[in-house]
Amino acid sequence: MSQGTEAAENAVDGAEAESVAARPGFHRVVNERDGKVFEVKHKELLLMSAIQQEIDYPHNCRVGTCGTCKTKLLSGKIRPLVDFALSPLTNEELAQGYVLACQSMVNSDLRIDVSIGNHVTIPYRRVSGRVSSWRRLPGQVIDVRVRLDEPLPFMAGQYCQLAESGSFTRRNYSFYDLPPDPDGEGAEEVGFLVKYIPGGKLSGWLNEMNRTGTKMWLHGPQGRTGLEDEDSDAICIAGGTGLAPIASILADRIRRHPGTKFTVIFGVKGADDLFAREVISDLLEQAGDRIRFIEIVSDEPDGTGWEGPRGLVTDALTPDLVDDYSTKAAYVCGNLPMVEACEKKLVELGVDPEHIHADKFIPTGA
Amino acid sequence: MDLKLLDYPRYFLSTAVVLLSTYGLLLGGNYSWMGLGILMGILLFDSFLESDYSMRDQRHPVVYDIVVGITLLAGVAHVFTYAYLAGAGHFATWSSEIGAFVSVAMVGFVVGAPPLHELFHRETFVQRWMGRIGNALIFDPWREITHVVTHHTYVCTPDDPDYARRGENMYRHVAVSLYRQFKESYQLEKQMWTKRGRAWWHPKNAWVWRASILLGFSTLLFIAGGFKGMLLAIATCLIGPRTFLEIFNYCNHYGLISATPGRFENRHTWNHLTPFVRVFALEITNHAGHHTDSYVPFYELEPDEGGPEQPQFMICVLLALVPPLFFAMIKPRLAHWDRHFATDEEREIAWRENARAGWHDLNEAMLADERPMHRPDIAAAAA
Repeated sequence: MSQGTEAAENAVDGAEAESVAARPGFHRVVNERDGKVFEVKHKELLLMSAIQQEIDYPHNCRVGTCGTCKTKLLSGKIRPLVDFALSPLTNEELAQGYVLACQSMVNSDLRIDVSIGNHVTIPYRRVSGRVSSWRRLPGQVIDVRVRLDEPLPFMAGQYCQLAESGSFTRRNYSFYDLPPDPDGEGAEEVGFLVKYIPGGKLSGWLNEMNRTGTKMWLHGPQGRTGLEDEDSDAICIAGGTGLAPIASILADRIRRHPGTKFTVIFGVKGADDLFAREVISDLLEQAGDRIRFIEIVSDEPDGTGWEGPRGLVTDALTPDLVDDYSTKAAYVCGNLPMVEACEKKLVELGVDPEHIHADKFIPTGA
Repeated sequence: MDLKLLDYPRYFLSTAVVLLSTYGLLLGGNYSWMGLGILMGILLFDSFLESDYSMRDQRHPVVYDIVVGITLLAGVAHVFTYAYLAGAGHFATWSSEIGAFVSVAMVGFVVGAPPLHELFHRETFVQRWMGRIGNALIFDPWREITHVVTHHTYVCTPDDPDYARRGENMYRHVAVSLYRQFKESYQLEKQMWTKRGRAWWHPKNAWVWRASILLGFSTLLFIAGGFKGMLLAIATCLIGPRTFLEIFNYCNHYGLISATPGRFENRHTWNHLTPFVRVFALEITNHAGHHTDSYVPFYELEPDEGGPEQPQFMICVLLALVPPLFFAMIKPRLAHWDRHFATDEEREIAWRENARAGWHDLNEAMLADERPMHRPDIAAAAA
């Protein structure tokens, strides 16, 4: 029996933990989020030890590259096996004390903050399908829909990896559809919004010509952005194709959570890029009284006839936009700098950070 | 007698080969070929043996760890002995000069490099740092980061610089791979100092200790063997373990395809499981288990019986030196892999890869077998 397994027998919850001292040669790890306490042998890796103790710690690659085991270190000492600057952790996350559990050798008692348990919401699967519709939207965005060869379940705000048959290239895109019935088999067709990135392999291929009929592969679903605060009124902020997960979340809430209301801010560069109404027109028709929809443009020249608000999406977040920010959840989807700026502004306006759910789009490269 | 206990001493064979090679260097003359001769003799014998799928005894893991440590130290002593003797003019004839150089290079490749790889994958502080410092033996402390950060994540995709696509010959692969590794090492280093908000010259940057290892190693070699001894010893490290390691990498995942980057499955590697290769390579060639979980020490790796296998390791390396022979060896194996191991999604990528390589016979084989085959649009691929 390994030391880690022995430690599992000492794992306790809540207040009881406060009275239990770590055994000699071990350190006590307290997860502040749920009160869970477990022991890790001195200089053992946090994630490896947790997994050995059958703790449902979020993880994937275990070599410091995927970032799934991201953990906020509130106190205590760890030593990273591989410099965290090589990891997907952002500068801000590094400054805030985030670490990767898979690379953290435990050198003292720790207090951490991580979401343990309930990570597997829908089994990850691989399904094929064919492009059933392909149309250009304003702003160099392609609305591509795929008819699946077998149903794929997913939940609001989730994404999957999309690849053309025969290609090594695969990229993550969010579903923009109403999630399928949780008790059913899954969606038979799914849609994505793909922004053309110059030099981008998949977006360039999709942008080049109508790809209707092409076989595609989907791996997923993944992501947790839209899985919490389902019954709360919310502020939804979408930058460009960040609208896709927002549209899915809105469709889900309108159908399954009556009474919830939403303020949606959709930001793009110019008035010619405003494709959102084409995507969520049905939702606005169905529940116009529950959705307040604001379009804002950042780089629209003067004199073009645009009469709506101008600026960044954060400029639309004014103190009087909603009556009480502290009672609202927030969903923020878009590129990394935009999301981080919105998170900061929302906190300043009174939104509880625990209720801000973000999907950060990070370009994969060409 | 408990025969499983014989699992432990077999790994001391690596140490013995290094020590005998060192002894040959000390004897000088044509004995300087001794290391190469013993190594090749054993590998030739091994090439006639069947694959060994047995698990190692795991009751006394500390013995294995001792072997790894001793072999690493023996490898260091081997190189320093060579530097000293070469610098002192010990190898008086061209034959002994060449014999010593080739012996040090090849023993360093087959037996000296595996302990580094094993140790820099370990989780304990001492072992990890032994592996990092030991990287001096391949004269490239940066090899570790590209190996851990990219190879293990993107194996069997073009995003992995170690991966050779179908149709690529070894010479092109090694040149491109080395360039990509150096470029990526720089980018990773830059990422580290940028994210930490440090200037490139900051003493806490990782490149500083990596460069210090090389500087320290070179200085010690200079002290041992003067300028000539140092240069020759460094050349054995660069040509032997460093370059031949890339030839081994070329073989190891050649032409295999992953449609699930970041999610390794056993079919994504070739294995070389003959008995002596398993010992010399510290089970690196028992590759499926290593990629499944890179934390697992070599003695716990489970051979993938029935998984993709290539001919004996040294035969593959030698074939790689002659591309037409290597292709003749690998193509039937890839056709078998496409038919029996690849998922439908991977077969579709294989189709494009075969077309890209001009290996249309492999695509015809896929169409001829009983599995349904979707042909991806070749025109779309070219676009």
